[in-house]
Amino acid sequence: MLDLVDITKVYKGGKRAVDDLTMRLEPGMLGLLGPNGAGKSSLMRIASTVTRPTSGKVLFHGEDAVARPNALRRALGYLPQDFGVYPNLTSREFLRYMAAAKGVSARTAKARIDELLELVNLTEAVKRPLGKYSGGMLRRVGIAQVLLADPQVIIVDEPTAGLDPEERVRFRNLLSELAAEKVVMLSTHIVSDVESVASDIAVMAGGRLQRRGTPEDLLRSVAGQVWEVLVDPSSVPAVQAQYTVSRLVRTTEGVRIRLLSKELPYEGAVQLTPDLEDAYLGIIRQSEGGRPARGFGERPLRAGAV
Amino acid sequence: MLQMLTGLAVADFRDRVRRPAYVVVLAAAVALGYVAVPDSDAKWMIMQIGDHRGVYNSAYVGMVTALAAGLWITLGGFYIVRNSIERDRSTRVGQLLAATPLRTSAYMLGKFLSNLMLLTSMLGVLAVTALIMQLARGESRDVDLLALWQPFVLIALPLVAMTAALALLFESLPVLRTGLGNILWFCCWMVVSTAGQGPGLPLDGIGVNSVVRSMYADMVAQHIEVDGSFSLGLTYLDKPLGLFTWDGFTPTAGYVLGRVTLLLIAAAIAVLPALWFGRFDPARSRPGRSAAEKQEPAAGTVQPVFIDEVGPYDAASRPSVATLLRTRPEPGAVSLRLWAGEVRILLQGVRWWWWLGAGFLFLCGLTAPELHGIIRVMLPLSWIWPVLIWSRLGTQRHEHGVEGMLGAYPAVRRRILAEWAAGLTVTVVAGAGPLIRLIAAADWLGLAGWTGGALFIPSLAMALGTLSRTHRLFQAVYVPLWYSVANGLPIFDFMGALRDSSELATVQPPVTVVVSAALLTVVFMAGVLRRFSRD
Repeated sequence: MLDLVDITKVYKGGKRAVDDLTMRLEPGMLGLLGPNGAGKSSLMRIASTVTRPTSGKVLFHGEDAVARPNALRRALGYLPQDFGVYPNLTSREFLRYMAAAKGVSARTAKARIDELLELVNLTEAVKRPLGKYSGGMLRRVGIAQVLLADPQVIIVDEPTAGLDPEERVRFRNLLSELAAEKVVMLSTHIVSDVESVASDIAVMAGGRLQRRGTPEDLLRSVAGQVWEVLVDPSSVPAVQAQYTVSRLVRTTEGVRIRLLSKELPYEGAVQLTPDLEDAYLGIIRQSEGGRPARGFGERPLRAGAV
Repeated sequence: MLQMLTGLAVADFRDRVRRPAYVVVLAAAVALGYVAVPDSDAKWMIMQIGDHRGVYNSAYVGMVTALAAGLWITLGGFYIVRNSIERDRSTRVGQLLAATPLRTSAYMLGKFLSNLMLLTSMLGVLAVTALIMQLARGESRDVDLLALWQPFVLIALPLVAMTAALALLFESLPVLRTGLGNILWFCCWMVVSTAGQGPGLPLDGIGVNSVVRSMYADMVAQHIEVDGSFSLGLTYLDKPLGLFTWDGFTPTAGYVLGRVTLLLIAAAIAVLPALWFGRFDPARSRPGRSAAEKQEPAAGTVQPVFIDEVGPYDAASRPSVATLLRTRPEPGAVSLRLWAGEVRILLQGVRWWWWLGAGFLFLCGLTAPELHGIIRVMLPLSWIWPVLIWSRLGTQRHEHGVEGMLGAYPAVRRRILAEWAAGLTVTVVAGAGPLIRLIAAADWLGLAGWTGGALFIPSLAMALGTLSRTHRLFQAVYVPLWYSVANGLPIFDFMGALRDSSELATVQPPVTVVVSAALLTVVFMAGVLRRFSRD
């Protein structure tokens, strides 16, 4: 249905955000995972016709959506990561305007907006101007906007950012339901956002598609490679330097470390069943040439920290 | 403290000069330098005494360029720098700064310095341009850098410092922060730039009077009969001016002290907002918010989070998407609704007093006894009243961050046309009183002028708003344009208000329509080019 063919996006200054990426999207949910700066948002903007690729094609039902974007735009529901609203309009007025911009007839738009407001649980707040809405409520307006024209393709960029846990779950379930007959592309760097709902997961890093498959495929890629060891706090830096560490828990006995290794890392290490986070980290580390990364908050524990 | 202050000012200045708009600002400074020292055959002049001007030596070129800077950079520069607090608010850097030990007075002083640095950089470019212009005009090849640049320090610098401080003051006051402040600044500038030239003013006004007296004295010494008064501003010449030689003036200690005092007053004005500035605390800056918050769960109350993804009860009771979304949206005619939506967006937040004023002007336009008075007075008044509304055209999608979503929507041209039509609607409604009278009097030439104006105003607003993505540019351009018409300058009469006295009355309506079409083309092209060159 939606084909991204050899997509490359190079920004001014030479930053290559998307690098020769090809992807076919069919009905169902594609979870696009990747660290910050992986090129997810650039790819989403290209797929939703907001940004033109430097090279490559976006084909919607075989038609070139870069040269003639209107066909895809009519069938698209897009929610960017950051978006604003007109603060003095009510949610109904705003959605009416967006429906007109989408080309939806007046008769069907009115009924559809009422249903959408009920779906996203905003019926009570419908008379308040959007400037008085909380962040979560605004995101729900954004979600309603996505569904205005009953889109065939839904592209949502980090949609759960700023939502509370309950809203996140509700939104994931909603997307999961929609994915039964539509193309849903959801980008996130939070693995738990996609592991329960996406039947298809793509991992991006450095602008390239590193791996794509079902959650089971991804899990298989690290089968037999997840271990747990209990080490002395002073040994933690050495373990971090040598292996990809996915979790680290301080206990009274020492530090319990969950790590990735193709072989038995230490005597007494216990093999664990991998989860999607292990698979994700394994793929990302592999894309970085196996170098164990040290990110924000990851610092060597001092000896005697237990 | 000093380190914090300079750090803030330099960072703010760097952020501004690294924006592409800064190149435009500097280019405007160069253009101003060129306009200030025109060729001897040119039809304009910035400064003259009667029908004479000075020979282009260092002293005269420096003075005329510095006075042009003092005059025009105080007007345009205000609109350029009056977003220093707003940028911290919109980028949310302000909230980070608010949590630092930085004192509010130091914050204000830092912002003032940043404003001043930006405007001074324009002066610097002008000073260099002045040197080039003196050499280019070639009336005097002797370069005296002290005489050339002294006026920039003594006259232009204190004036831009006042501008930098007042821009900050305006930004800190809720009423003046709005477009109303932009209009008010223009009015203040008009008064100060004309009345400030007079003799006997405290601190020598804008500093020009001592210069004029020195020039008069030199003219008398050269036995030149001074016929006419001193003129500063852009004036039209129908014949070349005579020449006199002016070698500059030596400022008295009192004069220098007056200029320094002006700088100190500017610094004091800049610090003044510290008394009421809310340090980006939303509770202090948005009083309306508290009412909305009352409807939310009480702040500080911990709400238990209940997450039930697959519970049997929930699954059975929660309606599915398919059951809730029963209506299948169908395509249909949307132009009218899109126009209505754009009108609603354009008029969002407009207060009751605006409608009251618009109604009053409509009634006056409809009932005034003389058609001439209606066209000459009521039409210009009717078409200045919505200036703040027009200035929203072409900017709102960007300013409110809706662009990201609408970028993926179809029929971009239809939306642009709908937005322009909304602007046209406001223009037509605002000018409806004079329109009805023109039709009733079968004044077809007047009607043609009115139509040209009605098409031109929203087109100009859309073009400037789309290009600059800020409402300030239209306000800065339209108000002087309108003022020239209201003052009887026929060359810019885009609304046909001066048709009784203008030789151009029959030519202007078609020219205005063509210009409007060109401006609309710019709007469409800007959208296309922006999509091609995005990021």
